[in-house]
Amino acid sequence: MYRLLVCAVIALFFILVPEQSQSQGFLKKLKDKANQVADKALDKKIDEKTGMGRNENDNTNTPGRSGKPMNKGGEGLKNTAPPDVIQQITDAQKAHDAGNFSDARYAVQQAILGVEIQIGQSILKSLPAAVGDLPKDTTQDIVMSTRWGWANLSIQRVYKKNDQQLSVVIGNNPMYSGMMDLYFSNAYATQSNGETQNMKQIKVKGNKAAIKFEASEGYSVFVTLGQSGMITWQGINYATEQDMMNAVNVFDIEGIKTKLGEK
Amino acid sequence: MKLFILLLTVPIYTASLAQQLNFKTDIATAKSSYSSGKLEDAHFALQQSMQEIDIIIGKEVLKLLPQKMDTLSVDTKADNVTGNISFIGATIHRSYGKGDKKAQVEIVNNSPMLGALNAFLTSPLLAGLGNDGKTKVLKIQGYRSRLTKEDNASSDKPSYRLEIPFSNALVTLNVNNTSDNEVIAMANTIPFDQIAKLIQ
Repeated sequence: MYRLLVCAVIALFFILVPEQSQSQGFLKKLKDKANQVADKALDKKIDEKTGMGRNENDNTNTPGRSGKPMNKGGEGLKNTAPPDVIQQITDAQKAHDAGNFSDARYAVQQAILGVEIQIGQSILKSLPAAVGDLPKDTTQDIVMSTRWGWANLSIQRVYKKNDQQLSVVIGNNPMYSGMMDLYFSNAYATQSNGETQNMKQIKVKGNKAAIKFEASEGYSVFVTLGQSGMITWQGINYATEQDMMNAVNVFDIEGIKTKLGEK
Repeated sequence: MKLFILLLTVPIYTASLAQQLNFKTDIATAKSSYSSGKLEDAHFALQQSMQEIDIIIGKEVLKLLPQKMDTLSVDTKADNVTGNISFIGATIHRSYGKGDKKAQVEIVNNSPMLGALNAFLTSPLLAGLGNDGKTKVLKIQGYRSRLTKEDNASSDKPSYRLEIPFSNALVTLNVNNTSDNEVIAMANTIPFDQIAKLIQ
């Protein structure tokens, strides 16, 4: 009888101990969960007070990692009139006559900026309103003139419909034309596997040009303009080389050349 | 001697006068072209005016530079000012001395070297990494500068290069057969404040 009792106690011990440790694990999990909920509630309270918190229901106001709110909009900058060229020229003359050469230089620089922006805007106006089925997207029109460093004048126009896009960039930029001259004099960038090649020289309306295809970028066409200018077109989702060339041929290259003063 | 100096300065002033006349002609052409709607002609004339004014400024800077650096006299025949419109702006060159010891001042507007030099001068980390024991950073008339000892076959008479960046121009002084103290003394005779007002 005594032996039976000892066996029962031992058996009960082996059954109860795991249960006890299981319940301890459960209690620990419960405690952790309660802590997490309490922490979250506390964080939320602090966020509300500081105004920097994450509002989980409002995904549009998701802050960055630094807790800084993300910018959602804003009208942007309004176009200001380009510098008044006649005024700047007059200022340059006055400063020069007074021996103030640094100010004269600045005024000449501003006058050049003013003229370049006007040239750019007149070129944009002369570009076609649509290319094939693609209408112009005037929100992406850019005229950029910098009298600093490499780029002087760059003009951008984008034509877009659904997933098809044609962008054109016109510039009187010595960097571009130097690069293209290098290409035309030794076609180092051409790769060919016997059936297709990634780049080739062509002529567009009698001008030296090159066309390139990259699977990730689509077709690009480069045309040199006189001594220091260049036009580049990039066509996204154009089916064939011929489609791309038809789009490029819509543009009046001679007219652009005349406006840029190139021959 | 006075007659000699007079004879020396007359050609400089005549050239400067011619430059000023060119500027007046070009700027007048720009104005009339713009008024008659010929934008590209106005653009070209303005670019010409810019070059002219760069050259005028360069010549004014040359007038500010000292006639002597230590014992070295100015070599006006080597004076040179060029006005560029594209990559880099105007460059001004002045030489001192003849024979085996020369000092040369070079001022380049919009120099492509400016960014790297400014990074070197303002970042202790870069200065530490780029320091090969031949370079030190110092101040000349309050402007941060870099003094470099150039490799030379005869180490007892080394050459030094001192570079001082302004906001958009780089002034370089190269002297051979010299010591660092001599270069610093020479640099201190250049009126940087006045030059900065003209070229910025």
